[in-house]
Amino acid sequence: MTLLRIAWRNVWRNSRRSLVTIAAMAFALWTTILYSGLVQGYLDSMEGDVLDLEVGDLQIHPEAWDDEPGLSTVIEDPAALVAALEEAGLTATVRLLSGGLAASDEASAGVVLRGLDPVADARALKLPERLGEGRWLAADAPKGVVIGRRLARALGVGLGDELVVLSQAADGSVANDLFAVRGILGPVSEGTDRAAIFLLDTTFRELFVLPRGAHEIIVRRPADLPLDEAAARARTAAGPAVVQTWRELLPTIATMLDSSRSVMVFVFLIIYLAIGILVLNAVLMAVFERVRELGVMKALGMGPWAVLALIVTETAIQTVLAIAVGTLLAAPFAWYLTVHGINVGALGGTAVMGLAMAEVWTGSYDLQNLTTAVVLLLVIVAFATLIPAIRAARLRPIDAMRYQ
Amino acid sequence: MTTSPPVLSFEGVTKVFHQGDVEVRALRGLDLVVHPGELTAIVGPSGSGKSTALHLAGALDVPTTGTVRVDGVDLATLTARERAALRRDRIGFVFQSYNLVPVMSAHENAASVLALQGVPEAEQRTRVASLLEELGIGDLADRRPDQLSGGQQQRVAIARAVAARPAVVLGDEPTANVDSATAERLLDLIRSLNERHGTTFLLSTHDERVMKRVRRVVTLVDGKVASDETVGG
Repeated sequence: MTLLRIAWRNVWRNSRRSLVTIAAMAFALWTTILYSGLVQGYLDSMEGDVLDLEVGDLQIHPEAWDDEPGLSTVIEDPAALVAALEEAGLTATVRLLSGGLAASDEASAGVVLRGLDPVADARALKLPERLGEGRWLAADAPKGVVIGRRLARALGVGLGDELVVLSQAADGSVANDLFAVRGILGPVSEGTDRAAIFLLDTTFRELFVLPRGAHEIIVRRPADLPLDEAAARARTAAGPAVVQTWRELLPTIATMLDSSRSVMVFVFLIIYLAIGILVLNAVLMAVFERVRELGVMKALGMGPWAVLALIVTETAIQTVLAIAVGTLLAAPFAWYLTVHGINVGALGGTAVMGLAMAEVWTGSYDLQNLTTAVVLLLVIVAFATLIPAIRAARLRPIDAMRYQ
Repeated sequence: MTTSPPVLSFEGVTKVFHQGDVEVRALRGLDLVVHPGELTAIVGPSGSGKSTALHLAGALDVPTTGTVRVDGVDLATLTARERAALRRDRIGFVFQSYNLVPVMSAHENAASVLALQGVPEAEQRTRVASLLEELGIGDLADRRPDQLSGGQQQRVAIARAVAARPAVVLGDEPTANVDSATAERLLDLIRSLNERHGTTFLLSTHDERVMKRVRRVVTLVDGKVASDETVGG
């Protein structure tokens, strides 16, 4: 008779206790799979927003940018640099930046003007996908601008409304012009929502009398290229210009994302610790109820390792069943959360660490998500089982047979 | 008297237990030899050392002083794991309260020692099936212990004890929990196994019926052999 068969029967000797133990483990697994996927989805979406909508993986600025950020502090030949970056396997887009004042009929506000080539930009960033209403920039609409949603609210403008932009050009002259609101962005980030005006790079150069140069180059890397490796390649191409990773540009957010993942593991451990105590209790009960029987089996010649293996196998059976149940129950929920997500309603667009929260919070589930939850469960259950299993293995048959 | 080497021997064996500050001397220089094929009862009043002697014979415990040999092997020289292997291969046990494993059928219980020895399942089936037939419970092979009477359970326990053909079968009050008729049938079986297969039995008992059916009665008093008689059986 195999150990597995005896263990299987022992599991169902006290079927109610075994079912409770299996249900608790399955529930813990279900919870951790769904919770981790939701948090992962939230963090991925937050990181994705940072990288895909605004910052990119890397940014390159003129050497003097930190000391003298301004219209005339530029990378002299951005086209050559972009070509060198492309040569190094990276994707890049050029940005022109300036501060200014925007005014509508009703109000005015300080703004950040960002000039870009919509075709080149679309290769690196996904900002057009975040349009709340209207259309993105297009070459055939040189006076059309796209603005942040809170700026639109502050200025009291909507699609098609006009606004005046006022600033100082590179040659010292007054830069002012009338633009039409072509698009209003959905939630992106605190800064973009409140102050961003996106316009064509050609329009920007005309407005600010800036025939050449660029203030910022946003760089993306292939998914399989590590960030540090991408930065090294960009530095080689950039010469004296300063290359910074998004983690260097936004250290607080990078730390927050990292620590959120650590917190997720910590929450896992708390949930599993509770389950570990339950499993420990269940296995201890199963051992104490059978001390005499285990003593008899040892008297008949069953070795300590066989006793240990029997107890461990009994828990392993329950754990495997719990993993099957927990995973099967989690699968439809994970699918729903991935496809439909949770609509957070009024919380959508709320800024968290300067980043706007998406209105629909979707989960992100993959094999790693599942294996992490399962492996942690196995580790905790193994620890919880070994204590009573070792005690059982070390029972002296003569003492065990006297046990009442 | 047989000239075969003994399957079991006690030489000047003492066993002292400590219960708190109290020292209990269960055996006080026990000398006893059991040869192959013997059917022996150890009798004596409560506290005389019967159970302790049986535990030592079963390699479940070790003596404080003196030497216990099972099939020529000095127990004091064995580790716990080696003693477990000795019990598995050379000793059979029949307990007062049967002590069958409740999740196993009669057949599986009877075959459990063979399984521990690694005997192939086909051979286990053959050996145990014929043994259960011989003990009159062949038709109950698939029943679990809770579906068997006390006498039937004790027969399964006897089958488990003898299935692996041990050097000696130790019985701790094997008839204590069954009625008279069942006890008589069990003793018939034990005698039959002893006569037909030469199985060596050492039975600890208070039961007069057992004393009448064995061939040798060893009486212990205060942890020593007070008398050792060959009886008719």
